Parts: sequence; structure tokens; C-alpha cells
Amino acid sequence: MSKRLLISLVVSMLLALNVPSIAQETAPMDAAAAEAESRGEFRSLDEDVQDLKKQVLDLNRDLFLLEEELLFPANSQVAFFISMDVGEYFELDSVNLKIDGKEVANYLYTEREAGALVRGGVHRVHMANLKTGDHELIAVFTGTGPHVRDYRRGATVTFNKGIGAKYMELEITDRVKKQQPEFEIKEWE
Amino acid sequence: MRHRSSIVVALCLLLIAAVQPVQAAKDGPDPIVVKDPHYGEVLFYFYQEDYFPAIVRLLAAQDQSRLDEHLDQAELLLGGLFLSYGHHLEAAKIFERLLADNVDTEIRDRTWFFLAKIWLQRGYIDESQKALSSLSDNLPENLWREAQMLQSQLYINSGQYDRAIALLQEWKGKTEWASYAKFNLGVALVRSGHVDAAALILDELGDLNPFNDELTSLRDKANLALGYSLLQDGQPLAAKEPLQRVRLEGPFSNKALLGVGWADAEVENYRRALVPWMELRGRDLLDSAVQESMLAIPYALAKLDSISQAADHYLNAIEAFYEEINRIDHTIGFIESGEIFEEFLADDPLDSTGWYWRLEELPEGPEARYLYHLLATHEFQEGLKNYRDLYYLHDNLDQWQESVGVYANMLETRLQAYNERLPRVEAALARADLDGMVDRKLEFDSLLNDIEQSNDWLALATKREFEMWGEIAGLENTPALVANIPEADEVSDKILLLKGVLQWRLERDFKDRLWRIRRDVRKTGEALVETQRSRRQIDDTMRNEPLRFEDLSSRVYGLGPRLDGMKLRVGETLAEQRSFLQSIAVGELQAQKQRLDIYTVQARFALAAIYDLAATVGEAGE
Repeated sequence: MSKRLLISLVVSMLLALNVPSIAQETAPMDAAAAEAESRGEFRSLDEDVQDLKKQVLDLNRDLFLLEEELLFPANSQVAFFISMDVGEYFELDSVNLKIDGKEVANYLYTEREAGALVRGGVHRVHMANLKTGDHELIAVFTGTGPHVRDYRRGATVTFNKGIGAKYMELEITDRVKKQQPEFEIKEWE
Repeated sequence: MRHRSSIVVALCLLLIAAVQPVQAAKDGPDPIVVKDPHYGEVLFYFYQEDYFPAIVRLLAAQDQSRLDEHLDQAELLLGGLFLSYGHHLEAAKIFERLLADNVDTEIRDRTWFFLAKIWLQRGYIDESQKALSSLSDNLPENLWREAQMLQSQLYINSGQYDRAIALLQEWKGKTEWASYAKFNLGVALVRSGHVDAAALILDELGDLNPFNDELTSLRDKANLALGYSLLQDGQPLAAKEPLQRVRLEGPFSNKALLGVGWADAEVENYRRALVPWMELRGRDLLDSAVQESMLAIPYALAKLDSISQAADHYLNAIEAFYEEINRIDHTIGFIESGEIFEEFLADDPLDSTGWYWRLEELPEGPEARYLYHLLATHEFQEGLKNYRDLYYLHDNLDQWQESVGVYANMLETRLQAYNERLPRVEAALARADLDGMVDRKLEFDSLLNDIEQSNDWLALATKREFEMWGEIAGLENTPALVANIPEADEVSDKILLLKGVLQWRLERDFKDRLWRIRRDVRKTGEALVETQRSRRQIDDTMRNEPLRFEDLSSRVYGLGPRLDGMKLRVGETLAEQRSFLQSIAVGELQAQKQRLDIYTVQARFALAAIYDLAATVGEAGE
């Protein structure tokens, strides 16, 4: 066996090694054609996947809208959203909703969800079908308040459901002067 | 409502997520007001990095024109979401359209940068180059450096070494990126045949004092590259120094030890060469350097005239290669069965999607050791991402299929209930003569007007009062009262008194009664108007409901086949993607096997030569 033969095998390793360290390893020169073929195959598949993603997303959009229209027709639809503004004085754990005395939602927030609220996300916590007329909404917020104390506060509002979809916002804000959180329910402006 | 959400901040977060952990949006531009709850809802999912549901909600809200207050921001956000989800072609379409407009230049550059990066990883070389060429000078420093590195990589990959060298030689500073740039410069110089110049660069890099693991690894890599370059250039003694600078326990140590051995062997110092090669004997046979050392050791022993020991080592090598080939065959079978890809995803909750996902750990098992290095390749990782995304899509379509089945049932039940109730409602509506009621109300208004005008206080008497009035009138006409007797006069006076009292009371209460009756009639009128409105709604509903049922039915039943077709396509593409990943993995294993086959042939050939030599020596001795 010749030394050169072994060295030639080592050289192939060397070529594989000579790559930008942050980047993908490049195959040896003699494998360039195979790599190009593989890249072509990858790209063709990737384009298929991209196309499928687009179509499935469009289908999901249609299904999402169908589901909403079917389960919550616009005439009777009421959506309840939770939002937070700043959130220095309150860490949200859960929200409990009662409409006309009947409990309709009891939502427990994960850390990730609560974080998303603090950063400006708005959570649709409940959707309901309600008749036209007056309804009473009671929301109870549970979490950690100032000085890391357990905190439980309620807010009540009577709202009128007319014809057409209605959006109610349950907003948690900071009252800086009192260093306390404030809980408000209002119709989406 | 006020929220600390800014689309610029959001996009910046999106576009730096791959580089550094997401940071709070504290120093961004002024906050904007979330004016559409549906926009806020998209942000809720976006901030959780749940890109798929965020995109679906954004598309749905756009379709329903629910984002009127955030039209431009929503489009930019959609582009960013597409990009994060790895839906890069759609993202590019949006950005190409939007970035031509008046978009913040930093956002524009960040976007082109990340598109270039994704495209390079996914093998869209021309697109990647085009994106890099679109950059202006508004990237933050760290991203700008990475962009330069991407550009040099593109040059090197396409064989434009001179351009790569020119770009990398301009690199200034002593940052971590500068070290990477230096390494790449060395690579470009070696590949363009400027070994001496490369040696200077790599030597400098190989002697650096690293302050983190990445730089330590880079230093090892530079030393290894330099050592082998010198070996190849016929400078074995010079090659030893950089090779000996490589850490003994790092990922490049096996190759370095092998190289040090070859440097000694090149100057025919086989005894010294055996030292690093013997060290390799106990290491993982998966490494090609270890495999090669199993042939190098007997080669050196033979050179040192230890023929018997050399033969033993060749036999050991043949046996070890045989076992390794068997294990590789077993692994190939396992990969071809497809089970391994199920295992990849078995512990993956699929709760996050997107381009930033990477498989860090392989499922445990004897096969894992053969595939670890695959994880470092973009082709495999990106292929795996696609496989995972397709799996997610399949799962998503599965869930919708169940839901759509339920919706079809729900719709049929509703339609049946509607059809059952309809005749009863129609009969009730027919009984309720609303027009007649309105006429009666109008007649009543007119009657009240007459009563008021004629001051007909008796018309507003209660039933009892009216009866009393009748009784009094009856008594007045009693014949006995006309008899000319004192008692008759007395009774007549009493009757007149009663009549007067009653009349006085009726006249006194007349206005009050009229007001109350008018109030009641007005309320009745209002109720009638409300009833008429309800009636119109019922009529509208009765007219529209069949159309609505028809529309919903056609959508539900139309989406069913669309879902089936899509699921089939996703299933097919999933199989293709799996097959592609299998071909990469199996190809890699076949290459390993092929190398072992070559080594086995070499070992057998060398062994045969030793036996021949021994036989010749024996015969000569006889």
C-alpha cells in the first residue's frame, strides 16, 4: 500500500474542511455535480413545499372564516378581547367571564401568552351568540399585583347588543399615581 | 387603546430573532395604537412565535377588511410572518412590492439580509446574491458583518476566489467576525492556489488566543487546514507545528493526530508516527481519521520490519471494518424503513413553527452516531424543517377534516330544525294581523281626538261609572218621579245630586284620564313599530336563511374535497421529502461504507503482500 494513496484520502478530508466556519460544509470538488443535483432536487421539493404552504394557509383562512360564520353569525356575534397596557403592576394568571350571570369562560394564561399580552397582543378570550338587547358582563381577573401579592379584581358592565357583530375590550392598565392596576370593560373604540 | 406595539419594532424583533434572543421593544420608535382588535389578535400569536395561526388570522382579517386602520402595517407584518414561518417565496413577493415604497431603510436592509440568508441555506443561490446586492448601508454592525461573510461564501462557492479574497482582505478589526473572515480568506487563498499566502493567514489564526468555544474551534480548524495544506505541499516538518496546536480532545483532534503521524512518516520517522496513530486506536471508528489510522499503524510497523505485528493489525482492521460495515448496513435499513423520521418528530410537540427551528438532538439509538454530522448540514436541516412543516400541515388538515365533518352535520341539523319550525312560525305570523292592529291603533287615535275635541268626559268613564251613569239615567226616567208628591221631589233632588257628583268627578278626571290613555296608546304604537321591525327581520331571515344555508352548505361541502385533495398532496410531498432526507442520509452512509470497502481492499492487499514477503523470506531461508 502506498503512502500517497492514504494521503490522497486525507486530502479529500482537507477539502471538506476548507470551508467558511459559519457556513455549510462544501463537498469535495469531485462531488460538485452530485451536490448540484441534490441542490436541484432540494430546490424543486422546497418550491413544492412553498406552494403547499400557500395553499394550506389559504384553505385555513377560508375554513377559519367559515367556522366563525357558522358558529357565530354576524347578527348575534359578540367577541370579548383581553388587552394589557404596560402591565407593570399586574401579572395576569386568569380571567373569568360571566354573561347575564352565567359563567362562559375561565381562561388560564401561560407565561408565553401573558408575555404576548404585555407586549401588545390582544387575546380573543371568548366568542358568544347573544340576542339583541341589554346584557350584563362580569369579568374577574386573577393574578399577581403590586408587591407580589395575590390579586383578584372584578369589573362589571351592562352593554347593549344591537344588530351586527360587537367587540368588547377587557383592558388592564396601570394607574401610575396609585401604583395599582386598573380593570376596565368597554366597547372597542 | 394604547399598546407598545410598533410594526417597526415588531419587524425588527422578527428579523433579529435568528441572531439573538428576542428582546423587549424598549428603544424602538414611538408606540402605535392598536385600533383593530383583530390586528392585536394577530400580534398575540406573533409574539408567541406561533406564526401559522398568526398568518391565518391576518389573512382572514384582511379578507374581511377588518384591518382598515392598519393596512400597510398589516402587509409588512404579513411579510415578516411569512419570512419567520419559512414561507420565503411569498415573503419575498410582499417585500419586493413593499420595499419599493417608503419603508424604513433599516427594515429594508434587514429584510434583504434575512432573505439572502434563508435563500443561501436553501440553495437559492441567484436569489441570495440578488438580495445581498440590494443591501444599502443601513444594517446594524453585526448583521452587516454577517452579510459580508455570506457574500464571501457565495463567491467561494461559485469559484470566484479573487472576489472573495478582495472582499475578505478589506476586513478590519479584531472581532470574532474578523477571525471568521480570516479563516475564509485562508480557504479562498488555498483554493486559488496561493498556499504560501494562505499559510501566513492560517498560521496567524492558528495562534490566536481564543475567548470562547467558537473561536477555539475555529483556531483548531485553521491549524488543521494549515497543517494539511503544508503536508500536501510537501512540507511535513512545517506541518507538525500547526497540527500539534490542535486540542487533543476537540472535534478536530483525530484528524490532527493522523496528520502529525503522516508528517513523521513523510520523513520516514515511523516510530514517532506510531505515537499519535496508536492514540487514535481507542477512538470512535466512525471517524475516517480513526479508520485510516488502522491502516497507517500496520503500514508503519511494516516499515519498521515488525511484519508479524503489522499482519495482526491488518487483520484487526479488516475485522473492525467488516463489523462497522454491518452496522452501517443495519442503519441504512433503519433509515430506509422511515421509522427514524417518525422518531425525529415523536418528541416534538409541533407547537412552534418557523424557520428558526432546528433539530438539536437525535433520537437515542445506535443509528444516531452515524447521523450527527448530518445535523450540521443546511441541506439536511432545511429538509427536516420542510418535513416537519409538512407534518404540521398534515396534522392541521386532519383536524380540519374532523371539524368540517361536524359542521356538515351541524348544518344539516340546523336546516332540519329550521324546516320543522318554519310552518309553525308562518302560521303564527298569519294569525298575527299586524296591519289590522295598526289600523285599530289609528282608529283609536282618531276616537281620542274626537273625545278631546267634544270634551266627551263620559267616554272616558270606567265601566262601573258608566253603569252608575246608566242607572242614574234610568232612575231619572222612573214614572213615579213625575207624581206630584213631596217624596218624589225629594228623590228627584237626590238623583240630581248623585248625577252632579258623578259628572263633576268625570269632568275633573277627564284630562288626566285622557293623558293616561294617550300615553298607553303611544306605548302600544311603539310596541307595534317594534313588532313591525321584528316582523321585517323575520321576513328577511325567512327570505335569506335558505340562501345562507345554501351558501354555507356549498362552502362546507366544497371545502371537504379541497381538504381531501390538499391532504393527499401534502401526504405525497411528505413522502417525497422523507425520501429526499433518506437519500441524503443513506448517501452519506454509503460513502462511509464505500470508504471502509476501499480500506478493506487496501488492508487485504497489504496483508497479501506481507504474506508473500513472509513466504519469499521463508523460501529464501530454506
